[in-house]
Amino acid sequence: MKIDPMEIVDFKAELERLHGCSFGWALSCCRRDATEAEEVLQTVYLKIFEGKARYRGESSLKTWLFAVIRKTAATEYRRRLLRSLRLAADPSEANDLAAPLENQTASFERSEVHTHFQGALKTLPRRQREALHLVFYEDLSLREAADVMGVSIGSARQHYERGKKKLRESLTRMEIGYGNNWGRQENPSAV
Amino acid sequence: MEIIGDDKKIRALFSEAKLADEQAMPSFTSVWHQAQSQALRPRRAFKLSLAAVIALLVCALISLAVWSQYSQPRATYSAFADVPALNSLAASVVKAVDEVSTSLVQKGTVHKPTRSRITRSTTQSNALIVASNGKAAKEVTNIDNWQSPTATLLASQTDGLFKSLPQLNENANELKSFLPGRANEKEK
Repeated sequence: MKIDPMEIVDFKAELERLHGCSFGWALSCCRRDATEAEEVLQTVYLKIFEGKARYRGESSLKTWLFAVIRKTAATEYRRRLLRSLRLAADPSEANDLAAPLENQTASFERSEVHTHFQGALKTLPRRQREALHLVFYEDLSLREAADVMGVSIGSARQHYERGKKKLRESLTRMEIGYGNNWGRQENPSAV
Repeated sequence: MEIIGDDKKIRALFSEAKLADEQAMPSFTSVWHQAQSQALRPRRAFKLSLAAVIALLVCALISLAVWSQYSQPRATYSAFADVPALNSLAASVVKAVDEVSTSLVQKGTVHKPTRSRITRSTTQSNALIVASNGKAAKEVTNIDNWQSPTATLLASQTDGLFKSLPQLNENANELKSFLPGRANEKEK
């Protein structure tokens, strides 16, 4: 089932506006693999184009799009995992699959701080990482983040607080203090 | 959302990451066109998972059919064995079916390879009925010929007298001869 061409034109403009945020979120969902993130975005646009993913106005467009990206990334990850297991017997193809994962960090490792920061983020559980990314990177409220993650607001808040605490601890351990002590102050009224 | 203290620092780190991501970001037009071309490409008609499911279903149906075919004769055998009245009825039905089928075969209207499943099953049941009938007939003759092992002890000379009946035109005197007391007097 394909959606109306006129509808697609309107939608395309909106998607173009959100493309930057969408790519950032796709990167976060794909463990910062740029190639995989691009593939996920492509699949999401394909779903929209074919009418498999339809926006019904139940939430904001950004929240809906992020939820679609999250689900697609999870599906793609499972598919990739199965494919890599199937190709385990053929090491040459398995290496080809693993190659983008190694290359993706190169573009981002501009400074030591970023490397440490990304390292600290990777140590966090997926939900906590997602909560932090949606709040700090995408400027979403906790309610919107909860909608994207498909959890209750209370649960999202828990993930956000715990994630923030763990990130702070990790950064302190890695001695990236930005000249101060990360664990010094608590901020319960952040949200 | 009010962000103070540590949150500001975390946000700063995230915004720097965002800037770095924007540099690696592919253009929207290229991604959109790729998606569009993928949508217009003809899809592969053959799906492995669908084929596997269909094959499994076919296998299950075949095995069910085979099982039902081989399990049915046993059931009819037990049913006919338990109910002798049905045996004769079924035998007559089977006989009639066989007669019809043989006459058709003789006329050349029915060919052997196109024999139906019903005829096959009735022939099988017929064979079973004939076997059970033969067994029953043998049992009947056995019962008929049976003799008690103590029958010889009960035998006596007057057995013939007891078994014979007086005739209608015999006179009373002759009839008296049957009485044991009178016979003695006669002898005297």
